[in-house]
Amino acid sequence: MVEKKTSARSQEANQRRILDRATRQRRLNRQLEALEKDNFQDDPHANLPQLVKRLPQFDDRHESSKKRKKTRGDHFKLRFRKNFQALLEEQNLSVSEGPNYLTACAPPSKLPQRPFCAVCGFPSNYTCVSCGARYCCVKCLGTHQETRCLKWTV
Amino acid sequence: MATLVLDNGAYTAKIGYSHEKVSVIPNCQFRSKTARLKTFTANQIDEVKDPSGLFYILPFQKGYLVNWDVQRKVWDQLFGREMYKVDFADTSILITEPYFNFTSIQESMNEILFEEYQFQAALRINAGSLSAHKYFQDNSSELCCIVVDSGYSFTHIVPYCRGKKMKDGICRINVGGKLLTNHLKEIISYRQLHVMDETHVINQVKEDVCYVSQDFYKDMEIAKLKGEDNTVMRDYVLPDFSTIKKGFCKPREEMNFSGKYKTGEQILCLSNERFAVPETVFHPSDIGIQEMGIPEAIVNSVQNLPDEMQPHFFKNIVLTGGNTLFPGFRDRVFKDVRSLTPTDYEVSVVQPKNPVSYSWEGGKLLSDNPDFDEMVVTREDYEENGHCICEEKFDI
Repeated sequence: MVEKKTSARSQEANQRRILDRATRQRRLNRQLEALEKDNFQDDPHANLPQLVKRLPQFDDRHESSKKRKKTRGDHFKLRFRKNFQALLEEQNLSVSEGPNYLTACAPPSKLPQRPFCAVCGFPSNYTCVSCGARYCCVKCLGTHQETRCLKWTV
Repeated sequence: MATLVLDNGAYTAKIGYSHEKVSVIPNCQFRSKTARLKTFTANQIDEVKDPSGLFYILPFQKGYLVNWDVQRKVWDQLFGREMYKVDFADTSILITEPYFNFTSIQESMNEILFEEYQFQAALRINAGSLSAHKYFQDNSSELCCIVVDSGYSFTHIVPYCRGKKMKDGICRINVGGKLLTNHLKEIISYRQLHVMDETHVINQVKEDVCYVSQDFYKDMEIAKLKGEDNTVMRDYVLPDFSTIKKGFCKPREEMNFSGKYKTGEQILCLSNERFAVPETVFHPSDIGIQEMGIPEAIVNSVQNLPDEMQPHFFKNIVLTGGNTLFPGFRDRVFKDVRSLTPTDYEVSVVQPKNPVSYSWEGGKLLSDNPDFDEMVVTREDYEENGHCICEEKFDI
């Protein structure tokens, strides 16, 4: 008996999980936020045991550090280590008038969105039923279903 | 009294005394997997023996300075004995800030410059204002210009008239060099080789191989062809840090179109990624960011200004920032803006020879300006009056 080659499209309709629009939008937002990351790996120094507490720095910084006024420890930590979101909220821009950081953001484009295949990058005409990713041809759909469809999150 | 001009960017700091040349130095700290216990600061990146999987610690987040610990370490290195040997009591500093910088960051900057480093005088200004200043110096007949500053974190489009920025016209697109590099890393990781950790290497790939296409769909058609007809495709040899120190693009004569390469090098084959990645700056909606691209935003920004000034703005569009270094960028901006403006307006897009240090050059010019001493805030002023004098004098 010859084995029938199963194509990706022959998956039964009730076996497929279909994501709704809100979930798809959330996944897209998470992907966009991932594009803002500085590093995708963890800090290589993060898990090092603190063996070397403070190496004596054999340079003549001792004289110059005495001249510098050091800002106080706690005040320093509170003021100078906030993250971006905290600073933005502190600025309280929704109540201020006039142009500010939020109003300066560019408005949405007047041109229509151009979709590209997630697998090969060429212009795409079709959308994956389950997850909403774009593809351009049946071969790319096959690759997508095998590798990424609902199998990968940011 | 010397003036130190520092264009404090999110990716590189452009620093130099106003009577000397500029140096472009990375504005962050690095950590390597192999060199444990040592954190490399700024220019010490040349000392890293194994730049694979380099971990970046940036003081900037989304273009704004949030991590003062790292920034002060970088500044200590830049102002210290090994680099600029700054004599703080005798130096004034001209430092740049992003547009609409938050008040808490501005206040922290004041404190750090005056109380910790104890500079004699300081001037905080937007980087684009320095570019505009230089542009008006070079073209003294023009009154208005639009500065497009496309950098690491975002792109700002700012109209300037008679030396002052027009706050209502400022437009910010959240697409910058960082986003393009991360996007390129993602596509390569999915299609060819896992490179998500290799920011430094892929940044080099982006700078060597990517370009802005003048006709997007035509290039797409060419990229679909196979073999020799595909003039867009390039092979990039990745560095392995033992024999090949720096990656490079193979010239077309050496490319093997049929079959695999026999040598042991790791090769990336890039075709449509070469121009699809920089296309994001022109159409952020391609990857899902619902914002206008640069040409549309320029036109949008100018149209919100008074009618009689609009032709003057279109005649003076200046492209600055490292992200504009892609080949073909200037021509493409010209083409798109030209097709969006009425025919009776003259459109001219200018890209200086060195877009990265153009603001720094503007700072150098400004420091030689006779009015410079009026514009700075001295340490005595700050100690008497505190933050409010800085808020009055500096227009951020």
